[in-house]
Amino acid sequence: MDEKRPLILIVDDVALNRTLLSDVLRDKYDILEAKNGNEALLFLREKTYEISLVLLDIVMPEKDGMEVLSIMNKNGWIKEIPVIMISVENSHSLIEGAYSLGVTDFIERPFDEMVLMNRVTNTIRLYTKQKKLSDLVLSQIYEKTRNNSMMVTMLSHIVEFRNGESGLHILHINTITEMLLRELLHRSDKYKINRDDIGIISTASSMHDIGKITIPDSILNKPGKLTPEEFNIMKGHTINCAQMLNAVPLGKKEPLMKYAYEICRWHHERFDGRGYPDGLKGDEIPIAAQIVSIADVYDALTSERCYKKAYTHEKALEMINNKECGVFNPLLIECLNAIADKLVHSLQTFNWDRQADKDFFYIADSMMKDKNHPIYNQTFQQFINERKKSNFFESMLDGILFEYTYTPSIMKFSPTAAKKLGLPKTITEDDKAQISGIRNDNWEKIKNLLQNHPVLEDGPILTRIHLSIDGKDVPCQVSYIQIWKGNIKNNPTLSSVYGHIDVLK
Amino acid sequence: MTLFEFYSSLGESFDDVLSRLRLESRIAKYLGLFLNDPSFDELKNAFDNNDAKTAFRAAHTLKGVAANLGLSKLASSSSDLTENLRPGSFTAKSQDLLEQVELDYIAAIAGIKQLS
Repeated sequence: MDEKRPLILIVDDVALNRTLLSDVLRDKYDILEAKNGNEALLFLREKTYEISLVLLDIVMPEKDGMEVLSIMNKNGWIKEIPVIMISVENSHSLIEGAYSLGVTDFIERPFDEMVLMNRVTNTIRLYTKQKKLSDLVLSQIYEKTRNNSMMVTMLSHIVEFRNGESGLHILHINTITEMLLRELLHRSDKYKINRDDIGIISTASSMHDIGKITIPDSILNKPGKLTPEEFNIMKGHTINCAQMLNAVPLGKKEPLMKYAYEICRWHHERFDGRGYPDGLKGDEIPIAAQIVSIADVYDALTSERCYKKAYTHEKALEMINNKECGVFNPLLIECLNAIADKLVHSLQTFNWDRQADKDFFYIADSMMKDKNHPIYNQTFQQFINERKKSNFFESMLDGILFEYTYTPSIMKFSPTAAKKLGLPKTITEDDKAQISGIRNDNWEKIKNLLQNHPVLEDGPILTRIHLSIDGKDVPCQVSYIQIWKGNIKNNPTLSSVYGHIDVLK
Repeated sequence: MTLFEFYSSLGESFDDVLSRLRLESRIAKYLGLFLNDPSFDELKNAFDNNDAKTAFRAAHTLKGVAANLGLSKLASSSSDLTENLRPGSFTAKSQDLLEQVELDYIAAIAGIKQLS
């Protein structure tokens, strides 16, 4: 197989300088040339994953080399794309500044062709090797976690199958547990759980009913009410499961085992101590079990069972709030009420494939954010962002769509959008001046919305503005999702926005 | 005039340039391109327009290009002007420094035009 030639981006405002570099490098490398900082950033944005090295001049009109570097830092590009500065500049403080912004090397003009070639080759070789390794690690983790979550899903399906249920119950519990946990973490730090636990607890929640394999068919699938004796046997699924897990010879200290045990044994306890099997009260009941119990009740109410019809979402919420199904932690009831609308949406748009990928994203996400050993990987960051993007776009294919990146400022419209708004398909900072009249009004309004009103929100945002569509001034609804860089709680910056415009009739 | 004669006439070392850039054809090509490089004109215009920032950039560029081509006299006079303009404004010495750059530039250009 032909090895693909690495791509080098040469950034210099002087044509002669670019030629000098590309002549030397052309034999071994593919070359892109940019004549100022803005052009360079456009290439970096479009070809982030193709560019193997940047040769950057410092003093340039438009954006200079230092500005390009600081934007490369902001977007995380500098972690995967090595930069070699080439300049006649010899001011100590400037060169030091460039190093502190992450340049790999500094070559002073006039340079020796042989030295240049070797530095370029070595730098590319090092980075390629590192990238291959981190790709390898992540793809192995991906395989493993996908298989893991498939195993758990299969096991829990087998249990459900005996109930004559589809297995959707497990997945609903999973989703509800995850959403409740997120909301809880958002509202309180009372419980000792962190972001990394979310994935583990929702996986463990799949196991909540595995104790049911010890319950005879005649009781498990009995239509109508159970006798007190039968109900006692049924209650045993909690203790039985706890015993089965105790008998598992490994993983005693693993969080997954700990949470699975808590959930299996105590997901029928109630906050006022009137649940079973142990009659635990309040926060004696581990928080993971408290969460799964409320998720379990909600899903039981809204699903059809052999002994009952399905209640509506509203009715189920009302019954839980009125303590008709036992008493729950008031804080968790608050969380449930807060996520109620999103919950309906998530349960309806459920997707098996997405589910299987979920654990992986938790792991990849926490690896990339690890304080001590961050594995920074553009490919996977991109993968995650693309998924968010495509999930959002799936439902609205033939519409007025846009995609906006903050630094560098680039707006892209779908063909329909560009036509209806009277704007070019791509608008960069440089193009601003060329847009005039009504078209410019549209652009200013949309840009103003995206730049001046960021809302700290992970989900879709809806807002109304007036736009000129096909030349007529009409009210529109803009819905968009924001892609954040870094943790949403801790000094986040916006990296991009994907949006959709609806014309209101 | 040959490349060797050209560099000698300017008091520069052809061997230095050749050792860095390897090929005579390459050096000839860059000298040809240098004829069309706008940096010097930009420098002059910036002085006319009293625009010290642009003048700094143009001088800086000229310094880099000249250094690469082994025109060390031009590189050195451009470098002096660059440092003079770095703070972002003209000084009493700026005009004199520009005149030295101009002398070195004209000498280099005149030589390049005689290359066969």
